[in-house]
Order: sequence, then C-alpha cells, then structure tokens
Amino acid sequence: MIQVEHLTKRYGSHLAVDDISFEVEEGIVYGLLGPNGAGKSTTMNILTGYLSASSGTVSIDGHDILEEAGAAKACVGYLPEQPPLYVDMTPREYLLFVAELKKVKRAERIEQVEQAMERTGLIEMENRLIKNLSKGYRQRVGLAAALLGNPKVIILDEPTVGLDPAQVIEIRSLIKELGKDHTVILSSHILSEVSTLCDKVLIIAKGKLVAQGTPEELAQRLTAGSALNITALGEADAVMNALLTVPGVSEVQITGQQNGETSVTVQVPQGEDLRAAVSAALAAAGCPVLGLTTASMSLEDVFLQLTAQAGDEEAQEILEEQEEDALCPEDLEFVQDAVEGTVQPDGEIGQEDDASAQAEQEEADEK
Amino acid sequence: MSAIFKREFKSYYSGMMGWLLTGVMLLFGGLYFTAANLQGGYTNFSIALYSFVIVLLIFIPLLCMRSFAEEKRSKTDQLLLTSPVSITGIVLGKYLALLAMFAVPVAIFSLYPLIMLMLGGVDLVASYAGILGYFFMGAACIAVCMYLSTLTENQIIAALSGFGVLLVSYLLPSIQTLFTTGSGLAMAAFVVILLAVSLIVGLRSRSLTLGAGVFVVGFVLLTILFNTRSAVLTSAFTSVLGALALFEPFLEFVNGLFSVTALVYYLGVIVLSLFLTGQALEKRRWN
Repeated sequence: MIQVEHLTKRYGSHLAVDDISFEVEEGIVYGLLGPNGAGKSTTMNILTGYLSASSGTVSIDGHDILEEAGAAKACVGYLPEQPPLYVDMTPREYLLFVAELKKVKRAERIEQVEQAMERTGLIEMENRLIKNLSKGYRQRVGLAAALLGNPKVIILDEPTVGLDPAQVIEIRSLIKELGKDHTVILSSHILSEVSTLCDKVLIIAKGKLVAQGTPEELAQRLTAGSALNITALGEADAVMNALLTVPGVSEVQITGQQNGETSVTVQVPQGEDLRAAVSAALAAAGCPVLGLTTASMSLEDVFLQLTAQAGDEEAQEILEEQEEDALCPEDLEFVQDAVEGTVQPDGEIGQEDDASAQAEQEEADEK
Repeated sequence: MSAIFKREFKSYYSGMMGWLLTGVMLLFGGLYFTAANLQGGYTNFSIALYSFVIVLLIFIPLLCMRSFAEEKRSKTDQLLLTSPVSITGIVLGKYLALLAMFAVPVAIFSLYPLIMLMLGGVDLVASYAGILGYFFMGAACIAVCMYLSTLTENQIIAALSGFGVLLVSYLLPSIQTLFTTGSGLAMAAFVVILLAVSLIVGLRSRSLTLGAGVFVVGFVLLTILFNTRSAVLTSAFTSVLGALALFEPFLEFVNGLFSVTALVYYLGVIVLSLFLTGQALEKRRWN
C-alpha cells in the first residue's frame, strides 16, 4: 500500500528523519511510536505530501508522492496534529468544502459528509461555528474531514492528545472500527494506546526506525527467552535446588522471601513451556507452588530498551511521565472493555506490571 | 480550485472585512464621481478613478493580508497542500477570489458612466477603457500583495509590507526625477543598492569574503561606469525604476488612450507574482 524508502529529512544541520524505510500493508492498523521530537510528525507530513523529503521516496498505492502527487494524495486522509480547520465555518460547511477539495462527486458530497458526521458524532454540532467548539469536537471535525472521499489510507497524527478520557475512548473505538476497512497509520507516544489499537508498531527514536513488528513480536525479539515468576512455600535453598534440577532451567533469581515463602524468577529458553515441569519438580521437593505466572517483556520495556540503544536519554523521562498519564487511559480501557462486553488480551500487560511492581516492592522490603 | 475560490470569497463576506472594504471603495468612488464628473463636468470617468487611486494603497494590502499568512498561522495550509489539488490550483483559487472581491466595487463603478449618459455628456469608450485599465492595475497590485502574504504568517506584517511596496511604487515617478545624468545622488543610490545586495549575498552564503568581494567589484565597476558612461547608467536605472511604478501606466487611460502596452505590463506583473507565489509555497515544503 505504502512504500517508504530511505527517507531522510534535514532541517539545516538537524536530521529530523534519518534513512527510514518501511512498507505498509493494506488493511492493517500501524502505530508510529516514539518520544516527542523523534520525527513522527515529520514522517507523517512527508507521507501526506505536506513536506518534501531531503532524499528518499514515498509511494502510495503505486503513485509517487512527488511525481503523481494528485493521485497519491487522493488515497490518503490526513489528520495533522493540529486539525487544519477554518474556524469561521460550521462543521457542515467545512466538511462540504473538504469534500469538494477532495474531488468527491457533487451527487455524493452531502451523503458522505452526513455519514462522516454520524461516524464521528458531530450531528448535533453541525451548525455551530467551529471557533465555538471544544478541542474534542474540533478533533472530530478533523477526523471527519480525513474520512471524506473514502481514502484507502487514513493517517492520524496523535489523534487522542488533549482529549478528555471519555473522548479518548470514543476516538479509539472509532479508530478500531476504521481499521476494519481502511489502512490506518497513527502516531502516538502513549504505549498502551499503540499496543491496544495497532496490529503493527514502528518504533522511531531520534529520526531512526529502531524496530518494527507486532507488539508481541517486538516483545519476544528482545528477550532471549521468557521468564517465569514463581512463588513457592519453602526455604530459598530448597526451592533453588529443586528448580535447578529441571532440564532447561539455567538461571534462577530470588526476588523475595517472606513468611517462609520464596519468590523467584526463572529464565526459560525461548519457545519452551516449562510450567508443568517446574511445578512438578517443586512439588516433588516438598515446596508447594503458590503462584506461577509467565512474564514476557511489555511494549514499554521494549520501547525503553530500544530508545536507550538509540542513545536517547529523554525516552526514560518521557516514559516515567507517561506512566502517570497512562494510568487514566489504561483504567478507562478496562471500563471500555466492560462496556463493550469484551475482554482484551492486554490484561496481561497490566498484570505483569503489577507483578514487577510487587517484585520491586519486595526487594525494597528485603533491604 | 473552485472549492478554494468559493470558500475564500464567502469567508470575506461572512465577516465584516469584505463589507467594510467594499463600502470604503464605494464611498470614495461615489465621492470623486460626484466631484469630478457630475460637478466638475469631465466626460471621462477615469479621471474620477485616478483621483482616489491612493485609496488602493490601503484597500489592497488589507484585502490580501489574510490570504496565505492566515493559512500558515492556523496551519490550514496543511489541508490544502495534502489534498489532491495542485499548487497552481491553490494559487489561482486564492487569487481569483481576491480578484472577485475587487471586482464587486469595480462592477458598481461601471454603472456610473450610464448615470452620466442619462444626464448628458459622457465619453463612454474612454470611461469603460479606464475602468478596464483600473481593474488590471488593481489586479496587478493584488497579485503583488498576495505574494507578500506568503512570506509571513503575520497578517499585520503582510499588510504593512504590501502597503510599503505599493507606496514606494506609487512614489517612484517622483523619485525617478531625482536621478539626472551625472548627479551624485544617483551614484549614492547605486552604492546603497550595491551595499544591500552584497549584504544579502554575504548573509545567504554565510561568507564575509564573498559579500565584501561583491561589494568591492561592484563599487569599482560603478565608479568606472559613472566616470565614463554616466548617461547610460542613469537611464538604465530610471527605466528599471519606471518598470516598477505600478500606477503609472494607468495614466494613459486617464488621458483618454486605450493602451495595450499598459494591459500587457499589468498581465506580466500578475503572471510573475503568481509564479513567485507558487514558488514560495513550494519552497516552504523543502525547508
């Protein structure tokens, strides 16, 4: 659908995007993840033809963004970071204008505009001036504009920034819905958002593409194997010895000891499931297993590790800052899931965060 | 293109600006029409038009200041540049909307010769030729001011620079007369211009030697030319100044002549300015 080859963008001596290449397949939701100033917006602006790359090519549905600009741009609906709205118009007027700008046929314009307004929940605001609308509604007008002309690709730059929690939920469920029949590329610096919304993630740090893949793939790629967190009743030595008898277990780390219970983390080689063997070995040694969970790296860990590799110290700060922010949206997702009556697999991430927090707590207690 | 044209034109009249500007033009038009044609007895309406040409120095910068500056400030240029419309389409759509805004008072002015016809003496041909010339002159000024509004995202700066350029252009004929052959003033003016050019060259290339070099070489050439072929130098200079005087060719129409040269000149200014506008938009994407 979209081919990006060796994209580079220079602002004077500053390298905003540094030799990025990737391919976007049809019908998949992509997430562009990176700390602020990593080059996400610049990349999106180049993909949509707003900026020109210093070198490298972008082709959308086979049309080069420079050579066949019109055809390429017709395939894309774009919502920039700040929605490009004419504030002296009403949403209806504005959307009709955008529809005409995007060369939607006259007969279909009104129908398409009404459809877009319905999808984004703008119907009750259609005749107010945009300047009197709140940030959330403005965002929706921008999103509705991106949907007009039924583009194959929808590119959203930080679509949920600055919205209140209820609006965040609405916009996210809309994006999920869009993902069913469009290719969506969204950028975000909120990890939980990307890991729940996106099928594939591209991580950008300091203008470089440092990793790409599904959230799970990325998590796997970075750990040589996964780990088991075990809590068993028994002394540390007994537990340790029992575990080391299990074939495949190479490293055992004691993470906590309390009331005769021992918590350990066991490194397991990639692709092997040692849960049964481990619990059998512990039972045989007279140490009943009280808890056993599998830990794989979350997207958060992946992100940290990768951005740290790229020499980005800021990422750490941003991540910390985000953890505070992320509390809200993440909690809300559970609310949302409850409302929708579905259970999302992202529960794992939450659990495992709890687990590591617990482990840290226990470590602190030890000291 | 038509979408941009329609939106732009409507937005002028949805706010106060469009009505205010049109009102001011009509007020002055009516005033000078009454004074020159109805009371003064002139049969050519162009004379009335020429008497309040100075109003254009305010009207046109105010009309054009919003054009591209506001799009850049509110980032709506992002919408235009990422939609399947060519740069030419954007520039023409915007320009034609401004032109249409200017055409409203001019269309009303073109009724005035008919009023004169009802009352008696009128030179219809000269009057309508004058209105055509006036429209072309305004169209050229609009193109220049629209280009200036692509250079900034501040409407006030766009308006002030437009006013400055039009004012200098308006005053050029009188400035021109200062430069007579062999006058020291001409030499001084050349040196100032040369200084400005070498300063720009020096700053753009970030090289002091290049800037200084340009200045020294230019200065030597100027001194030689000034001492040997002074007449050529000054006449070349005054003709360049003459070409920049936007309001001068219209005088032909006021004198009752239909000047094709003037219309071609205005068309040239329009095409050049629109081209530069397109280039300025294109350049923004590369920066």
